[in-house]
Amino acid sequence: MLTKKVKMLLIILSVVISASVAILAYNVAGQVNDGLINTTSSYDMIVGPAGSATQLAMNTLFFTDKPLGTISYEYVEQLQRDSRVNIAIPFGMGDSYNSAKIVGTKPAFLTGKPLSEGKMFEKVFEAVVGSEVARKYGLSIGDELVTSHGLSEHGEKHEATPLKLVGVLEETKTAYDNVVFTDIETVWKVHDHEDHEHDDGEHEEKTENAQTTDAGTTPEKGHELPGGHGGEDGEDEHGEDEHGEHAHEGTVCAILVRSKTLAYSEQIKAEFKEDSKILTITPAEVIREIINNVDLSRRIVYILCVIILIMNIFVISTITILNMYDSQKDIALMRLIGIGTGKVNIMFLIQNALIGLLSTAISFGVSRLCLVFLRGFASSMGIVLDAGRIYPLEWLIMAVIFVISVLPTFICTVRVSRKDIIRN
Amino acid sequence: MIKTENLVKTFDLDTTIKYKDLIFEDAKSYVLLGASGCGKSTLLNMMAGVITPTGGSIFFDGEEMSRKTQKQKDRFRIEKIGYIFQDFKLIEDMTVEDNINILRLEGVKTAEMDAVLDALGILGKKKKKVRQLSGGERQRVAIARAFVKKPQIILADEPTGNLNYEIGRAVVTQMLTIAKGKTLVAVTHDDRLAELFDEVIDMNAVASSVDGSGVTHRV
Repeated sequence: MLTKKVKMLLIILSVVISASVAILAYNVAGQVNDGLINTTSSYDMIVGPAGSATQLAMNTLFFTDKPLGTISYEYVEQLQRDSRVNIAIPFGMGDSYNSAKIVGTKPAFLTGKPLSEGKMFEKVFEAVVGSEVARKYGLSIGDELVTSHGLSEHGEKHEATPLKLVGVLEETKTAYDNVVFTDIETVWKVHDHEDHEHDDGEHEEKTENAQTTDAGTTPEKGHELPGGHGGEDGEDEHGEDEHGEHAHEGTVCAILVRSKTLAYSEQIKAEFKEDSKILTITPAEVIREIINNVDLSRRIVYILCVIILIMNIFVISTITILNMYDSQKDIALMRLIGIGTGKVNIMFLIQNALIGLLSTAISFGVSRLCLVFLRGFASSMGIVLDAGRIYPLEWLIMAVIFVISVLPTFICTVRVSRKDIIRN
Repeated sequence: MIKTENLVKTFDLDTTIKYKDLIFEDAKSYVLLGASGCGKSTLLNMMAGVITPTGGSIFFDGEEMSRKTQKQKDRFRIEKIGYIFQDFKLIEDMTVEDNINILRLEGVKTAEMDAVLDALGILGKKKKKVRQLSGGERQRVAIARAFVKKPQIILADEPTGNLNYEIGRAVVTQMLTIAKGKTLVAVTHDDRLAELFDEVIDMNAVASSVDGSGVTHRV
């Protein structure tokens, strides 16, 4: 026979395991959904090398995944000159500072993202960091950031070309918090310097780095858009390691475009379609597709949670019934010394309500602890999880869990009191 | 004063115990002597309101209690009667003090607990769980629980049933000491203890049982 303490522990464990999963799943699904919605871009088009639309969107909007490759800066200039375009911002990625990715862009990319301190980067080798990067690495204005080659923190250090921290973004609870932003030219110059060093050392590395550098230190010339362009290495991404997938001199990983009208946007996209090496996406459409996929996954998780909670009802009911059966002697005894059935019932209800409350509280604590542990993992996917965020429905889930853990006791006490040993 | 009149209890429509009328005066101690199964415990249980007589009446200071509702009987028992059970009826997983404090659920004051436990020589066991106590100590806890609420009437069903004679006698002596001024009715099958009480009632002469076939037996 299991002791009372073991049975109580089983009830608490059973509730905690299933309830924390339910709360955690709901919270993560909610935050992922909110993160996607909050990141919905104000750009109506993203231009990048041919490849996966999702990868291009995730890379430029959530800074996750590897870039698809690079395209010539000519495309940026062409779009900037285009009278149908409001703004065209270059986007380059490929290096990292510890575990934070470095994005080479223009200050316009951070429009609407206020700084908590310092100023926006203006010159080459100046950088602005997300709030989480500043917090995680204890950075302050004026600090030098020695970056690493590639998206891994173990890449070759760019010791000779450190970035100077000039600003920190306010916390946004989005992927922006985990990124270092600098001018696109900084990214080019860092690699230009590295390539020269390699040349000086008579290294003969036949990579697309070399090809791009060979093309010149200024943006490449001599191609028309769409169709003819050169120097881009987007088509090579499958054979590359991650060190190769970054913007080199005169190239970018993507271009974020805002057209003057939707019709213009469609026109430009249609023109780009003729170029098989270029991919254009509408971020809103891709995000909607991602949200739909997340929503489906979320529904599956909810169904699983409901199944777990239903199983929980059976487990708790069985344990409670066994508990109450064992307690019948104690109940009879209390009745004999004159304690009324109402008081006996209330005593058992309070006892089980406390167990229910404790289980619910532990479940909530465990779910938050899991969120903290998941934070690092999620941030690598461009999702910022906030352990302090509680959705109103989470309170409802906890209330349901509490009721589930107390209801069997309530039913049992009513049944036991109907079989009062003193009624004869 | 407690008075019984024409008291009858039938069990499962099979066996009926009939009792002669009895009177228990205030501030006196009584011992009901008799063999096992003669109806001693049944009489105490009916007096305590734990079971309801099939026929007849029980009066407490002129008030008929046996026909009252179970709730009223529970209230009367918790307020006026200290009942000491043969098998102690203590909750094993609880400490001595919790077993006594459980009475507070019904609003009974237990401020006298330490004094009563001290008088019974088990104050040092207050924080111990009942399962850790010896038979004699458990019996003392059961007595303490009955006395702590300062009841007018003490009913003790075989208070020494699980103890050897020496310990049993010591327990009864202590019980009678702290029961001074109260009405105490105890049941025992050990006639050696009878001399300690004010009055002895021979249950063989008081109760008779009628079996299913209608034959009357002296018990």
